[in-house]
Formats: sequence, C-alpha cells, structure tokens
Amino acid sequence: MSFITSYCRISKDKCSVNGKNILLINSDSELEWIKQLYKSLQIDYPKFYKMDVLSKLAFIGTELIKKNSDFNFYTDDDVALVFANRHSSGDTDLKFNNSYQQELMPSPALFVYTLPNILIGEIAIRNKWHGENLFTVAREFDATFFQNYCNILLSKNSQACVCGWIDAMEDNLEAFLFFVEVSDTSKLNLPFTSKIVANLYKA
Amino acid sequence: METLKETLKLQVIQQLNLEDIKPSDIKDDEPLFGEGLGLDSIDALELIVLLEKHHGIKTINPEDGKTIFRSINTMAEFIVNSKK
Repeated sequence: MSFITSYCRISKDKCSVNGKNILLINSDSELEWIKQLYKSLQIDYPKFYKMDVLSKLAFIGTELIKKNSDFNFYTDDDVALVFANRHSSGDTDLKFNNSYQQELMPSPALFVYTLPNILIGEIAIRNKWHGENLFTVAREFDATFFQNYCNILLSKNSQACVCGWIDAMEDNLEAFLFFVEVSDTSKLNLPFTSKIVANLYKA
Repeated sequence: METLKETLKLQVIQQLNLEDIKPSDIKDDEPLFGEGLGLDSIDALELIVLLEKHHGIKTINPEDGKTIFRSINTMAEFIVNSKK
C-alpha cells in the first residue's frame, strides 16, 4: 500500500494545497496569474520566466508539493516523475508558429518547449531528480493510469512518485499534482487508489 | 554609442525574458554568459534573432559569436562596425 501525502491544484484563478486555497488571483495586479503565484513562493529562480506555461505550472506545482512534503528521505534516483495532459505542447506550438507567421522570426526559446515532456526536464534539473520519468498525452485525466503506472515504478526502483496532470491551451490552464510515497508521512490519510485520486482531481 | 548600449540592454532584457533584471543591473563590460547574467546556449540563439530583428544584421560567423556576445560593449561595437 502507498499513500498520497500531498497534492495541489492550480486553475486559472486559484491555487490550493491539500484541499485548502492558498492564493486567489488578484485581478488588480499588473502581473499575470502565473507570475503572481511564482512571486508568492518567494523563490529566486530566473529561469522560471523563460519557461512555457506548462513548465511554469509544473515548476510551481512541484515547489508547492515540496513545501508540504519531506524529500530528505530520498536520493536523486528515488523520485519518479509521471505526468500527462490533453493538449500536449499545443499552446506553445501555436505561439511558435505565430513567431514564424506574424513576426517572421522563429524563436529558439519557444522552440525548445515544443514538446510537453520538457516540463519533466525542468523539474529534474531544478531538483536533481534523476529517477524514472514519463509524460503521456491522453484525452482526459485517467486516475487508473496513474495508479497502475506508479505501482509498477514503486514495485521496482522508485521510492516515491511526483504525479501530475498539467494542461494549457490559450487562456485555459489546469494543474493537478500529487505526491505518492510508500509510507504515509502526512496526516491526510489518503491511500493511493484510483478512486481517491479521481475524487481529489474532481474536487 | 552610449544610447545604443542602453537600447541594447533593454532589448536583451525583453528578448531573453530577464524579468527581474533592470538595465542598470547590466554593466557594459560584464560577461553575458557564464558569470554575469548567466545566459545559456538558447539565449545565444535569441541574441542572434535580436541582432536580425532590431539591427538588421542577418548573419554572423558562428566562430565570432563568442567575441560578439561577450558583453554589451562588444555587441554594440559589432553593430556599429557592421553598419560602416
């Protein structure tokens, strides 16, 4: 048996951790929502500003998970990264296409994000997590997929899994991340079952 | 030349999304890569785009890149010399 020991959600106007809202969008701010979130973390990581939306969401989500979990138990190969979404890197693909068609200048900085699994690379670099990783594109969030795949990883060399559904297309963005550990290091009492994962996602 | 350097700093900040950096944070002779601003290889490609987009310089010899993009000073000198 393994457990969900922390989870977070980011929508286009609010962010919650373990079911509690931690930040709501400030419509009066000059900063866009995702930068408001970054500033609230009080982290100095200039590369954040160069990331595409998917990587920014993944970055913020994992920082929130880290704040609510203890990763000191794990060596760098212990932590697996399992992510999925619906629109792949479509949002960045369109922006890159526009940089050709409207500005007549393809942007190298955009081009490097025209694959969705780059977000895993950003997280891995930031945290020096070099364990198993997977990014898959699916029509919709599938809790059973996460349960089955993570259980395989946890039965092999992985000791914990950072999982997430991170999707962005134009003004719509969505991130749901959860951390799975073999021991229940939290007080959430959330066994890692597909039913519980699905309920957390829908909540 | 001084105006060009100030303009370049603004363009570098905008092109490379250096959002927490102000023009006054960038010294004219400060290395842009490694130390200094800590730019990377993708940033180097963006600087090439910057030269084309804002200064009409279409091609540079890749071997000269290290020298041209060493600092704001060297970029400004390269732009001025290219227009002679």
